[in-house]
Amino acid sequence: MIKKYPVRVNVNGDDYEVLVDPRTTLLQFLRENLDLTGTKEGCDEGDCGACSVILNNKVVSSCLILAVEVDNAVIETIEGVKKGAELHPVQQAFVDSGAVQCGFCTPGMVITTKAMLEEMPNPSTQEVKEYLAGNLCRCTGYVKILDAVEYAKENLRNG
Amino acid sequence: MDNYSVIGKRIKSRDSVAKVTGKAVFAGDMKLKGMLYGKVLRSEVAHARILGIDISKAMELKGVKAVVTCEDTPLIKYSIHPLMADKLAFEDKKVRYIGDEIAAVAAVDEATAAKALSLIKVDLEELEGVFDPVEAMKEDVSRIHDHLDSNISKHFKMDCGDIEQGFADSDYIIEKTFTTHAQSHSSIETHACIADCDSDSRFTLWANTQAPHPLKQRISQALAIKPEKIRVIPPYIGGGFGSKIDLDTTHVACVLLSKKTGRPVKIINTREEQFAATRMRHPSICELKFGFKNDGTIVAKQAKAILDNGAYNSHGPSVMGYHNVMFSTLYTVPNISYEGTLVYTNKNYGGACRGYGDPQATFAQETMMDMIADKLDMDPIELRLKNANHPDEKTANAVEITSCGLIETLEAVKKASNWTQKKKAKKKYRGLGVASMTYTGGGSRGSGFNYSGATMKMDPLGTIFLNTGATDIGQGSNTILPMIAAEILGMEPEHIRLVTSDTDTTLPCMGTFGSRVTLCAGNAVSQAAFNLKKKIVARAAKILGEPVERLEIKARSVCVAKEPDKEISFSQIAAVSYSQKQEVLTGAGYYDGPEVAKDFDPKSYYAYPGPAMSFATHLAEVEVDPENGRVDLINFYAAHDSGKVINPLLAEGQIEGGAVMGFGWALTEEFKFDNGRILNPNFHDYKLFSIKDIPDITPILVETCDPNGPFGAKGLGECAMVSTAPAILNAIYDAVGVRICDLPATSEKVFNLIKSK
Repeated sequence: MIKKYPVRVNVNGDDYEVLVDPRTTLLQFLRENLDLTGTKEGCDEGDCGACSVILNNKVVSSCLILAVEVDNAVIETIEGVKKGAELHPVQQAFVDSGAVQCGFCTPGMVITTKAMLEEMPNPSTQEVKEYLAGNLCRCTGYVKILDAVEYAKENLRNG
Repeated sequence: MDNYSVIGKRIKSRDSVAKVTGKAVFAGDMKLKGMLYGKVLRSEVAHARILGIDISKAMELKGVKAVVTCEDTPLIKYSIHPLMADKLAFEDKKVRYIGDEIAAVAAVDEATAAKALSLIKVDLEELEGVFDPVEAMKEDVSRIHDHLDSNISKHFKMDCGDIEQGFADSDYIIEKTFTTHAQSHSSIETHACIADCDSDSRFTLWANTQAPHPLKQRISQALAIKPEKIRVIPPYIGGGFGSKIDLDTTHVACVLLSKKTGRPVKIINTREEQFAATRMRHPSICELKFGFKNDGTIVAKQAKAILDNGAYNSHGPSVMGYHNVMFSTLYTVPNISYEGTLVYTNKNYGGACRGYGDPQATFAQETMMDMIADKLDMDPIELRLKNANHPDEKTANAVEITSCGLIETLEAVKKASNWTQKKKAKKKYRGLGVASMTYTGGGSRGSGFNYSGATMKMDPLGTIFLNTGATDIGQGSNTILPMIAAEILGMEPEHIRLVTSDTDTTLPCMGTFGSRVTLCAGNAVSQAAFNLKKKIVARAAKILGEPVERLEIKARSVCVAKEPDKEISFSQIAAVSYSQKQEVLTGAGYYDGPEVAKDFDPKSYYAYPGPAMSFATHLAEVEVDPENGRVDLINFYAAHDSGKVINPLLAEGQIEGGAVMGFGWALTEEFKFDNGRILNPNFHDYKLFSIKDIPDITPILVETCDPNGPFGAKGLGECAMVSTAPAILNAIYDAVGVRICDLPATSEKVFNLIKSK
């Protein structure tokens, strides 16, 4: 039996203390141990961005990080983006712009967009493209995702 | 102007709130009590005889609950065509490609299942592999399927008019060979399923399938299980593009492993498995010969096409048929000759992939059209306008075109791109290219069926329900179909409760493919809604004491025209209907069209039985860097005739997504094979377009009204990438004068051609 290690994290405002197998990735930890399945696995090798989460204020691919590495960290997943009954302006923008088709890349796209707009409230189109280049989408062709980012920028600016 | 209250509106996707919040549950997200994790053992060699399989060591591993092989199956072969069935869920005598399935394991966790796979001992006698389709057609090469006397799966010829006379009447003849490469569907969600079998051997399969009803039927056939024992439920589905239509070994494995263990079993493909062992676009070789007049009239066209099937048939035989139909139907040409050969090789096999043979055919034909325009020094758009199809045309290959907006799509991209002016003031290394296409706008009865069913009901509280077998894989049918029902029932679509895809609670639908859902399922929903409406209005007429003709539905009430006081709400109608009259308010609809013509040839698809044809023209503006061969897309225009557009917001999304999938096929997505092994089964080395790589894309909806579609609508999804690649390659020619006839146009290829000019 492989030795397990305690991991204490705050995810979406809630504290957890869980014993984990040291081979467990952060992605598996979120999905399997915490049942937070909104974060998706598209490739498990850091290429697609579907597993993006915000770790200590930075977007990361959760498939490339071990759960034992995030002891004492603060994590935000897609489940923590919505505040109460209201959609976050980024989520609302994705809905209103038609930026969602199959929805599998969507949690990663939304989380990454949210982190970007928290880092830089008014990115240029080129900056948006750079920031989101690690999030693959096969359905939308990205056009309406760019629309959604523009819309979210305005929504956030207008309060 | 149409006077619709719902149709044609930019209504947001019904599922998008669940998807942006992470609440949408996909197959891989599901966890059932006591669930085991399965994994599939796949061949590591491309071609070998199986001498023995020893599972004993794997069974001894702690945590392993069951192992299944061909011995656990009735050894019934399957494919899309029962008469051409060639695939076993677990192969018994031979493996035919790297990825071929041999066994599957269920264990307490994934790590244990993976370890168990390494303990299964497979004794193989390796055979010579055949990887090149032209090589594979020769007599003295290794035979891939022992029951056949060659590696040719299907071969047919079709002749319309008089091809030799056509060439004799031509002023010019051009001959050229075109090749296209494989493409991965690359839905971001991989294949995933869970089976849960009860003590009576009834089971439920949650699977991310594009075609739940046919999947139920195929499981029933492949495992000799009575259909009434099977329920298939697709949860949210993370894209498909054709990859999730077939019965897959993961489905069979989950069912058998759950049956053996009495516990739910889940299998999720890794990305590597998804690349190596789920379907891909068929590579093609297409020799074309076109004869044409001085004025640009195409008099005769001939194609000799080879499709590389890979190891098994899957959809290959009908993809070959579609390659012919779409090649032969585009443009009004009186003399056509087509010869198609589908050839087995020891590689991962082709399947349905967005466009279904059409992108391969259209790449060849539309590059040829550009060469003809060049030869005649004629504007490429003018050449296409001269040969364009028209409404109500019967083509030489006996395809009945109903609505047709091809000319309008050509004119639309010409205008939007500022073609004339840009052509006149051509900048160095910049180029414009154009390409058109046609594809079915509503599936076909080529395989014998094209069915979609729907039922609607008003419950005793007045709530409206729509149950449909159609499946939303992201394309938006969950939004479109309630819109159709809502328009007919005079209500808002969000007030309709929707149940889809579950094989226990919906009427059969053939599935989401062939750009068929909007037309076929839309027609079924439309019928169901009209039938329900009739009952609602008849009941209201009796309650109000008014003739039916004077009644109309508004905002979930039936009212008397011009008498606003006289109205009765849906809930009141329902209450009276159920509790006083015991009348159930339901309506059903079923579509399975069109009629199949007597001269339909199921081999070549001559007289193709599709209900409508969709058309499009794509126009690319590129800039090529002669120093490194890099092609930058500057602008892209895509005009589509999809009949009446039910929801422009979603239609634009299809066009944009299709175009970008086409960009990848044209420029960056390329499988590297080494003796049948895929060397780049990951997104790092198999390059999809990212958000950084896209140009400005302008989708244009050219509306026609098709007599066979609901509210005049035709399909769009598959059409969206068909003419993208030739538009880009024609633009590269315009920019730097190099003609690329083998896809993809990588920087290396472009650079070398520029240097060798």
